Amino acid sequence: MKILALLKRVPDTEAKILINQEGTGIKDEGIKYVINTYDEYAVEEGLRLKEKTGGTSTVTVVCAGPEEATELIRTALAMGADDAVHVCDKALERPDPFVIAAVLAKAIKAEGFDIIFCGKQAIDDDMGQIQSILAEMLDIPQVNVATAFELAADAKRATVRRRVEGGDEKVETSLPVIVSCEKGLNDPRYASLPGIMKAKKKEIRKKTLADLGFAQAPGDARSTILRWLPPQKSSGCTMVKAEETRDAVKELVRLLREEAKVV
Amino acid sequence: MTIQGIVFLVLFLAVLAVFGLIVRLLYRILRAAKPENRFDRWGDRIKAVLVYVCAQARVLAKPAGLGHFVIFWGFIFITIGTLDHMLGQVIPGFGLERIVGRRLGSAFILLQDVFGILVIGALAVAAVRRFVQKPERLKIDDPAAPRQAALILALIFVLILFMYGLKGTEILEGSARLTKTNAPVSFSVAEMMRGWHMNVPLANDVFSWGHNLVIFFFLLFIPFSKHIHILGAIPNVFFRNLGRPGSLSHMNFEDESAEKFGVSELGDFTWKQTMDLCACTECGRCQVACPAHATQKPLSPFRVIHRLRAQLMRDKGGLLAKGSDVLKPAPLIPETVSEDEIWACTTCGACMQECPTFIEHVQKIVDLRRFLVLTESRFPAEIQPVFKNMEVNYNPWAIGYSSRADWAAGLGVPLASEKRSFDVLFWVGCSGSFDQRAQKVSRSVVRLMQMAGIDFAILGTEEMCCGETARRMGNEYLAQTQIQANIETLKKYKFNRIVTACPHGLNTFLVEYPQFGLSVPVVHHSEFLLGLLSKDALKARRIETLRGAYHDSCYLGRYNGVIREPRALLSRAARHVAEFGRRGRSSFCCGAGGGRMWMEETLGSRINEDRARELLGLGVDHVFTACPFCLTMFEDALKTLGREDVHALDIAEVLLEACSQ
Repeated sequence: MKILALLKRVPDTEAKILINQEGTGIKDEGIKYVINTYDEYAVEEGLRLKEKTGGTSTVTVVCAGPEEATELIRTALAMGADDAVHVCDKALERPDPFVIAAVLAKAIKAEGFDIIFCGKQAIDDDMGQIQSILAEMLDIPQVNVATAFELAADAKRATVRRRVEGGDEKVETSLPVIVSCEKGLNDPRYASLPGIMKAKKKEIRKKTLADLGFAQAPGDARSTILRWLPPQKSSGCTMVKAEETRDAVKELVRLLREEAKVV
Repeated sequence: MTIQGIVFLVLFLAVLAVFGLIVRLLYRILRAAKPENRFDRWGDRIKAVLVYVCAQARVLAKPAGLGHFVIFWGFIFITIGTLDHMLGQVIPGFGLERIVGRRLGSAFILLQDVFGILVIGALAVAAVRRFVQKPERLKIDDPAAPRQAALILALIFVLILFMYGLKGTEILEGSARLTKTNAPVSFSVAEMMRGWHMNVPLANDVFSWGHNLVIFFFLLFIPFSKHIHILGAIPNVFFRNLGRPGSLSHMNFEDESAEKFGVSELGDFTWKQTMDLCACTECGRCQVACPAHATQKPLSPFRVIHRLRAQLMRDKGGLLAKGSDVLKPAPLIPETVSEDEIWACTTCGACMQECPTFIEHVQKIVDLRRFLVLTESRFPAEIQPVFKNMEVNYNPWAIGYSSRADWAAGLGVPLASEKRSFDVLFWVGCSGSFDQRAQKVSRSVVRLMQMAGIDFAILGTEEMCCGETARRMGNEYLAQTQIQANIETLKKYKFNRIVTACPHGLNTFLVEYPQFGLSVPVVHHSEFLLGLLSKDALKARRIETLRGAYHDSCYLGRYNGVIREPRALLSRAARHVAEFGRRGRSSFCCGAGGGRMWMEETLGSRINEDRARELLGLGVDHVFTACPFCLTMFEDALKTLGREDVHALDIAEVLLEACSQ
């Protein structure tokens, strides 16, 4: 069984995000990048499926992203994925989801697959579109926001539990299928040291757009980001600071009376 | 030679041969183990044997140790007497006094005679302790252990009775060497026996053979009981760790084809670690000192050693197989040592401090953790985010690394990257950088340094977790990544020494960074600030209202001997410094070491509350700490115990207050 897991490089959730001067993106300094959290569930689910099906099953990581994504791909390989396809091309800087999906679709078709796992969304831009566009382009069913996955005994169908408003939905799907993963699906493993050592020797197939057969830009972007704007500073709350609680209370009362005019 | 002499000789040689085979097997077990270099500093090693074996310095640290002292020396004198007697059975006319001279031989007889009685007294005390008092430290979960102890006590007792019987009958037969002056006890025994009207030569033979047989039994039984320590303890003291006790072994990750890291079976231990197993006397002092055991967690250091040795004795069979030079590979986890035990350890080192035979428990626990973490990737779930945070943001908390120096905003703290060259590098550490409470301590240290006009800098966002926690949690790979990255950063700057307010950082810089090629002077802020006070660079006025007790951090006091300095500093800043019962090198862990800071404490009661209750018993309203972990643990415990009227303060905070008034 050929299992694919899609992976995106995103800023760490704890990183302090600042928008660059031109407003075209975020400042890179001081930012640590990690595997998109939901993609970790995808890699883990792929590995679990591989372990369950055994035999000739393989997990291939597919990533479209900058050169620096390599170390994160290695992390996924250290977790136990067998190999990876890394589409890395200057032309892919700040693309829209449609373009990325078109690129991934090419790479995935060339690779072949029985099942694709991916995150339900990337935690940076929160678009959550890739899985649906991909399903369309590959002409396969999609099941989104999966919290449980079970392959049928004949390996031709799968039962997926997905989170919906107010409850869970159980979906049966045929294979091949793309499943987008939600928190709770599994607990991604921590790579063992032998895993890390082995990952250094595993193959990452680097592809440019030309390698994938794109003569020029891979399809039209369906959207363009004009400008990034920082969130408006909310008036927020004022911390009343004072050494003694008594003074703090006095100051609070003054603020409520004179500034907020509520008492 | 008499027939008896021949029979004795044959038996003696046979027993000696079997004993020799057993010792050879033990030696082969050690030879089959992993290498470790303990062959340096012979002078210090001989000194260790004199102090800790001959003078029994650590044994005598507890009152019950006096009993062991008596039995130990009694055993030696009596054994020499035994050899004398045994050789006398084989070589007609043999006698000790013929070799060492009459006077020395006579003195020897007196020692044997007196020690015999003393040993009987010590045995009686030991029996009362073991079977009547049953103190906590002798409690063990193996029912065979007390039976063995009883057997040994009884055998020693019988041996001494036979010895007196032997000498008594010798006196009755008209001995020339035994007199009222050099064998008073034996003379009384002889007087007593005279009244029994027995066949004296026959009785002499019976006592002689009884004596022989007990010794034979001893030789064959010793290697399979806790009394193997008679063989193991002396070399174990000789090969003790002469360096600072707080260092862990360095792992080499160069072999990329390695499939296993850490210890999962006995054969993975080094020969010294294996020798440790043969050195345990099961005195249980480690058990009483262990914070995990004191709070009803499954871990007890000596029970772990006991079970490991039991497995060694079971699995040594593998070595006997033809052509085999390895122990039978059998997993240690979870039957011999459970994961709960492995993770309960705070690495506080109290066990190693107490151990009279210098067993190194912590390294073994960490080696087992290394196997679980590195090879199996198996550990309590709450640790995984800690490792990930350390990897991504270089601190155990989920806080972005770019905010590492936010605590210093507005304080005018220079960055190393701006200064390049300076006197003191203030190593802030993860707690001092990110933990809100510990940030206050960092700010206090900075204020004091500024008051004293110190030329210092911090690394700011270039600083990474020092690696101490990851290392003690068994994640040596992550620890080495952090250590190497920090060393690269430190090498960029010129400075004279590191000052840190964290004993864990202190310890790791002192004993672990040198393993990676960085040796730099590092002092704890207590030492540094005391120095500033002594030089009058800081002027403190004692705060008359401040009364508190000082709590020794394990990694400061026990591991690195910084015990006097924080107290000296406090005595100049506070009016009254009380003392915990458990203090100095015998301090009691706050519960946060060894990565426990970031783990749930679900088993037993809480270590920090145990320590906080001890504090409350002292009737002071402050506890002074010198470690950010201890500070957090005390604050948490005092909150849980509903005693927010008692406050925890770092020594730097106290001093700043004293210097500001």
